Amino acid sequence: MYGWIYRHLPGPAALRVFIMLAAAAGVVVLLFGWVFPWVSAEIDYFNPELG
Amino acid sequence: MSFTQQRPAHAAPSRGRPAPRVTFVGVLGELMITAGVILGLFVVWQLWWTSVEADAAAATQLEEYYEQDLMTPVVREAAELNTTDPPPVPEPVGYGEMMGVLIVPTWYGKTNNTMPILEGTGLDVLDGANAGHYTETAQVGDVGNFSLAGHRRTHGNSFLYVPDLVEGDQVIVETADTWYVYEVTTHEVVAPSQVDVVAPVPGDPTAEPVDRLLTLTTCDDPVLGAYGNSTRWITHAEFVGWMDRADGMPEQIVDDPGVL
Repeated sequence: MYGWIYRHLPGPAALRVFIMLAAAAGVVVLLFGWVFPWVSAEIDYFNPELG
Repeated sequence: MSFTQQRPAHAAPSRGRPAPRVTFVGVLGELMITAGVILGLFVVWQLWWTSVEADAAAATQLEEYYEQDLMTPVVREAAELNTTDPPPVPEPVGYGEMMGVLIVPTWYGKTNNTMPILEGTGLDVLDGANAGHYTETAQVGDVGNFSLAGHRRTHGNSFLYVPDLVEGDQVIVETADTWYVYEVTTHEVVAPSQVDVVAPVPGDPTAEPVDRLLTLTTCDDPVLGAYGNSTRWITHAEFVGWMDRADGMPEQIVDDPGVL
């Protein structure tokens, strides 16, 4: 899958690696900024409140 | 047979080596590895990044609080505790507003021992590395049970060391004009539903309070400790005295650089 994406990216190897890393970084930002806070609120595991 | 005829029909233009076939099992394997990495990242986010964000938010909150005009400037010398007169009791503030600073002298050097106290115990308050005041409980210094909640693990690990507090350890609350000093008395481990630990008289919700108490509540688990959440760790403290900010500060924190 990742190999297939790599082979279908344009440009020289260095550019392809850069694009793959940039995409991975974008995914991490998305996860840290939005996905994980939402998941954490849904599972509500570390809530210290009483009641 | 020519070279081009050997390559599979779907492969991209070759760089000399035939491209590997994209197989169902191969894609499935890569997806499972990806899922594993994402789960690992979630743990990193939950246990580390939430604290990075929360600590920054709390530091900003403290800075803004100390810059208020109504603050009596800190006099950096030890002063005598007033143990005879009743302390001044601040007016209640709105949900999410800051009412003071919680300082635990024995946490110095171990962890961040100075944190904002905000009104309310919703996650929007607690996730900012704050101590949250149970709205229905007494104000600081007042007769009754001034009760605070905080995260034990994640979002600043604010109350991580509450279970390390022993009898006699001080818990100090700073407001715009007053220092309030409490000393730890007892602790208990209860079910999350046992709200009477923050009653005016802990354990006796109908009793009329006579003492000025402070209670800290945080997550606990008999097996997982700070990483679990099946019980609550409750530490009670009793008021011992107060002083005006203009007169000085409690001697335990005069040399504490974390206290501004």
